[in-house]
Amino acid sequence: MWWRSASFILDNSRNPVNDDVPPNSITISPPPLTDSTAAAAPLQNPNFNRNMSMSAYYQTRAAHHGVVTSDWLAQAQEAAAATGAVDGQDDGREGGGGTGGRAFGVIDEFNRWRKQPDLAEAVAAIRALAAVIGNSEANTMMELEIELKKASDSLKSWDTTSISLTAGCDLFMRYVTRTSALEYEDFNSAKSRLIERAEKFGEISCKARRIIAMLSQDFIFDGCTILVHGFSRVVLEVLKTAAQNKKLFRVFCTEGRPDRTGLRLSNELAKLDVPVKLLIDSAVAYTMEEVDMVFVGADGVVESGGIINMMGTYQIALVAHSMNKPVYVAAESYKFARLYPLDQKDMSPALRPIDFGVPIPSKVEVETSARDYTPPQYLTLLFTDLGVLTPSVVSDELIQLYL
Amino acid sequence: MPDIQVLVNDFVSKLRKRKTEGSDATARLTAELLRSVISQQPTTSGGAALIEAVKSVGEQLIAANPVELAVGNIVRQVLHIIRKEDFSLVTNAVGGLKLSAEANDKEIFKEENEQNPSTAAVDGRCLLRPPLLHALHDQLPYPATACQSSALGGDSSEGKAEKSARSWKLKHDVIKAVNELIEDLNTCHEPIAEQAVELIHHNEVILTLGRSRFVLEFLKAAKEKKRSFHVFIAEGAPKYQGHVLAKELSAKGLKTTVITDSAVFAMISRVNMVVLGVHAVMANGGVIAPVGSNMVALAAKKHAVPLVVVAAVHELCSLFPQNPEVSLNEIGSPSELLSFGEFSDSMDYGIGSSSPLLNVVNPVFDYVPPELVSLFVTDAGAYNPSYIYQLIADYYSPDDLTPQKPAS
Repeated sequence: MWWRSASFILDNSRNPVNDDVPPNSITISPPPLTDSTAAAAPLQNPNFNRNMSMSAYYQTRAAHHGVVTSDWLAQAQEAAAATGAVDGQDDGREGGGGTGGRAFGVIDEFNRWRKQPDLAEAVAAIRALAAVIGNSEANTMMELEIELKKASDSLKSWDTTSISLTAGCDLFMRYVTRTSALEYEDFNSAKSRLIERAEKFGEISCKARRIIAMLSQDFIFDGCTILVHGFSRVVLEVLKTAAQNKKLFRVFCTEGRPDRTGLRLSNELAKLDVPVKLLIDSAVAYTMEEVDMVFVGADGVVESGGIINMMGTYQIALVAHSMNKPVYVAAESYKFARLYPLDQKDMSPALRPIDFGVPIPSKVEVETSARDYTPPQYLTLLFTDLGVLTPSVVSDELIQLYL
Repeated sequence: MPDIQVLVNDFVSKLRKRKTEGSDATARLTAELLRSVISQQPTTSGGAALIEAVKSVGEQLIAANPVELAVGNIVRQVLHIIRKEDFSLVTNAVGGLKLSAEANDKEIFKEENEQNPSTAAVDGRCLLRPPLLHALHDQLPYPATACQSSALGGDSSEGKAEKSARSWKLKHDVIKAVNELIEDLNTCHEPIAEQAVELIHHNEVILTLGRSRFVLEFLKAAKEKKRSFHVFIAEGAPKYQGHVLAKELSAKGLKTTVITDSAVFAMISRVNMVVLGVHAVMANGGVIAPVGSNMVALAAKKHAVPLVVVAAVHELCSLFPQNPEVSLNEIGSPSELLSFGEFSDSMDYGIGSSSPLLNVVNPVFDYVPPELVSLFVTDAGAYNPSYIYQLIADYYSPDDLTPQKPAS
């Protein structure tokens, strides 16, 4: 399996270089590659980069969720300065790629949207694709559709590890093209109709978090203890809304090693005056008897109704299930992905360097995968912008959508 | 409409005093009351006014006895009927202009929201429960319809007579649909009973608890189709409704055995199927059932005996259970357990101490989680617990799901 071997290469080539290479600069300006296959590809996929042991997925996460360090800031500034140059470069490439010298790159658009801290990756992708329609110079519906398809493919291949990016693109394509707009006689009205749809979809996706927060309020009762894992913007929104509604509850945050996203969540919650307790990841079973419900976010919701989320979610769900505690998932509908993982190794791994604090001998292998798959039988309910769903509803919906 | 208010107050006080109990009776009374509420509305009032009237009465009824979930269910179903009729009328009106054969109900729903600024407020609430994923895709308002709706607004002055005719027709249709609903309430056991033959086989042993009309009809229907089987009835303390059921079934020529509630676990290994009647079905597929049901369900689970719940659509509740053992429960009278004369001394406030030494707790309902239920047999077909959401989507409109919650 290609991915497996790649991850071995990455693991084996782990060296002190890691500390030198700025972990974020690649997000915006990928360094030139010597690898022939990667160089041949019109758009650079960060996953191919051998110098990096961190996948693009994780860079995004780090940028959005991670505890911001001073060196990260410095790199970000540096990268931002370099963006302009890269933009031109990308445009050139895109133009050369046969799109007719059009000075518009979907990836740039995507990256521009992505810089907004509260905008999810999938929504950024949706916005970027909407912009593709707007900037298109196509004269026929077919042409436009092909162009859109190309753009979404390039977005997807830009970061194959991000589930929500792929899912967002797929859903958008489905949403925009599955319409009787294609039957319109007049091309321009059909196009404006598509743009309208695209914007509407972006709007719905933006509101999703708010809707989820409202829906979940019924489930948070006074005096409850909620266990959360890692940092999720949806879960934060849910808890924030609950706090604003004057609910009395306390939160247990796991630390979320290795990127310590739990610390960030506990900071945010402390600002809201919610009683919060930090746990190390291994203390979940120890504290579970005090917990009333588990709340997690999701990177992707898959066709089985299970979720793919930050490493550790599976074991928390297992512990909660064995102690009869409900596990609630908050996930926006644009994270519904066309995947059906059969086991944990059945996904492309998103890799993540782990700092153990001490040097690890090169003979020791390190598991660097960043997420795991939680099967549906361990989940109680999913809060989505479509309503409160059981896992089987999710699979039903997904199958119907792509039928 | 003072006479209506009298009717409403009468029913509210009956609910409050628990004089009408049981999901069947309350559902029928609620539907009849709402029918008269609708018929009392002036004919010129449109859909929004009808919805408001039904809603305000509905809120009073729900508040009167929040545990009687059937009341809220019927109120929501009636609201759904009004909305549906309203939309279909609008469809017809728009359809003349648009000739859209492919327009489905959901599209119309959205269009309606667009056309009518007064329902814009509803739209905001509708956001809380937007339609599911695939519906979301088919549902966007077409720019063409937006133009048409403005056109409609333009020539509305011309068609005032037409408008009043439409609202008259709306009321007429709604009352007709509510009558159908009442008719369905009376006959809902028939489609349930029809499915009995497929589920009950020769020489099987069926266990049930207490008495429910649907269970009775279900078993009777299987017997009428010449199935010979044996029924175990747990008597269902403290009301002992099981005794009544045993009498009815043996009169029909069914082999019947009465057991105590505490003997369920001892007998379950001989049982092929457990059939339960319930008080309410929750949105997650869990059920609120007579006390003792959870014990039966757990025993069935332990011995891998399938548990079939027979329920009608009016028992289907759109709420998710939050701590249902307490919030959706009622405490019955202690006199059902202990006669006052015998235990009056110990139940009396003890001499010197402020609290009685002997307490009686008599909960009426049990919550059975969805994991323990194998199948729901309803008048709308047989469903897996996880597909209850589909029924809810069919019978209730998303607007009505959120506002009314049982006030605790």
